[in-house]
Amino acid sequence: MPIYAPSLAPRPAPGQGQPAALVLLRFDLRRVLRQRLGKFFGFLFAAILLGLCIQLYLRHLMAGRGALEALRPLADAYLPQGARFQAGLLNEGMIAILWLQAAMVGGGLVARDTLHRIRPLIYAHPVRQRDYLLAKALFATGLPLAVMLAYIFLPWGLSLAVAGGAGPVWPTAPLYLVPAALAIAALMGAVTLGASALAGSPRSGFGWALGIMLGSSALSFILAGALGSPGWLALGLGNLTKAWPGLVLGVAGDGPGPVPVLLGTAFHLALWLAVARYRTRPDGAVL
Amino acid sequence: MIAFEGLEVRYGATLALAGATLELEPGIIGLLGPNGSGKSTLLKTLLGLIKPSAGHARVLGVALGGADLRARIGYMPEYDALVEDASAYEQVAFWGELSGLAPAQARDRAHEALYFVGLDESRYRNVSGYSTGMRQRVKLAQALVHSPELVFLDEPTNGLDPDGRNRMLDLVLKVRAELDASVVLASHLLGDVDRVADQLVILDQGRVKAAGRMAGLRRLLTRRFELRFLDPLGPEQEHALARLGTVLESRNGLYDLEFHEADGAAAFAWAQDQGAVLVQLTPRHDRLDEVLIRALKAD
Repeated sequence: MPIYAPSLAPRPAPGQGQPAALVLLRFDLRRVLRQRLGKFFGFLFAAILLGLCIQLYLRHLMAGRGALEALRPLADAYLPQGARFQAGLLNEGMIAILWLQAAMVGGGLVARDTLHRIRPLIYAHPVRQRDYLLAKALFATGLPLAVMLAYIFLPWGLSLAVAGGAGPVWPTAPLYLVPAALAIAALMGAVTLGASALAGSPRSGFGWALGIMLGSSALSFILAGALGSPGWLALGLGNLTKAWPGLVLGVAGDGPGPVPVLLGTAFHLALWLAVARYRTRPDGAVL
Repeated sequence: MIAFEGLEVRYGATLALAGATLELEPGIIGLLGPNGSGKSTLLKTLLGLIKPSAGHARVLGVALGGADLRARIGYMPEYDALVEDASAYEQVAFWGELSGLAPAQARDRAHEALYFVGLDESRYRNVSGYSTGMRQRVKLAQALVHSPELVFLDEPTNGLDPDGRNRMLDLVLKVRAELDASVVLASHLLGDVDRVADQLVILDQGRVKAAGRMAGLRRLLTRRFELRFLDPLGPEQEHALARLGTVLESRNGLYDLEFHEADGAAAFAWAQDQGAVLVQLTPRHDRLDEVLIRALKAD
């Protein structure tokens, strides 16, 4: 058993620590990983990813590497198919599960601090509001982004490993998907952060986040239908996150189009970050 | 150590601090006042959490608002600000890191701070299973983990039984004696402040009603006596009491006086001079609460 000094050691020199935002981020990550929720989503995403990889591997296995080598000219014709397959990696179902995870985890980020009343204590330390928001935003954005990046790069890596450079894959497709993943993650991060800042507990944060996502989508369908313009669909968060992969890979179907998607994304980012900023201000934390 | 002038804080239309002005020296400062008197608001303003609408202040020689200043201060909030799903060790280390300590240093000091407050054996347990006294001590440990020069303790004995309260007050004295940190102890309990503080500030409705060194207040109290005479005093005799001191209260022939000099014998000389028979002269040295009540009554 360690033996400790009878009293605290002399005061250490200041400024030896890590940036406050990083300290907060690491603490939040440890809190989430400890929860059953974190383990559940980790398992879910890993299982889906494994399924996709097996599917991809079997496809290549059945086609045969040698046969594909011989069909090299034909591989060029596969390019649009490759894009669709890549876009399908961030498909609607996967995005829906990701929204659910983002709402559950991100919805509790600020709300948990509110529930345990630790935000005033955080601000009583050398932490500025921007450090606090940066840590929460990085976490809320980083978690869905990490899942999406795994979905983008692992199957792609496997494709390359199995088929080699001669295989019917579009080697640069993941690079196109990365900005889409960034936009989706930023949207999820901003919305869940804003929702969490509005809530008094993680559970209500989840409700707020899901309500905002579903409510904005419902409103966008009503407006698009009533005004006869698909551009209004870009008001819906579900539509926005669904539209991004197709847009960057050039395989977008019927959707709001690139300009409304850009405007809708900017609108939601600005709105929900402003909500989070207002609701987490230091003087508001003590009232 | 702490100086503020004309400090005014508003919550909407409510004036929480009304132009408070004060200068405090290092030591243990008791911040006394009833609930809602502005004690917590003053602490939070000095921490830079609330921006004053008027006035200015300096803490440890630094103007308010800077994050660097907060690295030199420890704050134990009044409410239960604990991360329920983390162990005491984990969260004290976290608060240490947030105060600017390197991760390894914060971990070491978390052990030491928890040992200091007497939570050595149970530091790896989640705080959700802790008693009120243990939770208060975790809050104190997080305020001390970075060895601050100044510690703000907001109602540290809240919810504690007499034994727990004594232990907490002993810790406050230990913080001053062993860590050489100044302490501002906000409380509505006079006994707490009386036991540990060497300076006293009485707040009410956002105003500083009285402030000074406890020794000075006690000296003031040594001039207080209760007098009873054999026969009721006449109006002229009552008027003449002003020569002896200030009459603070009179009821049923009992006079509460603050003498001009700390000399009880003067009362006998006065009685002889006035032809009155003094039958009771009681010193009121231990009535610090009277100071509080008078300060709160004074407008």
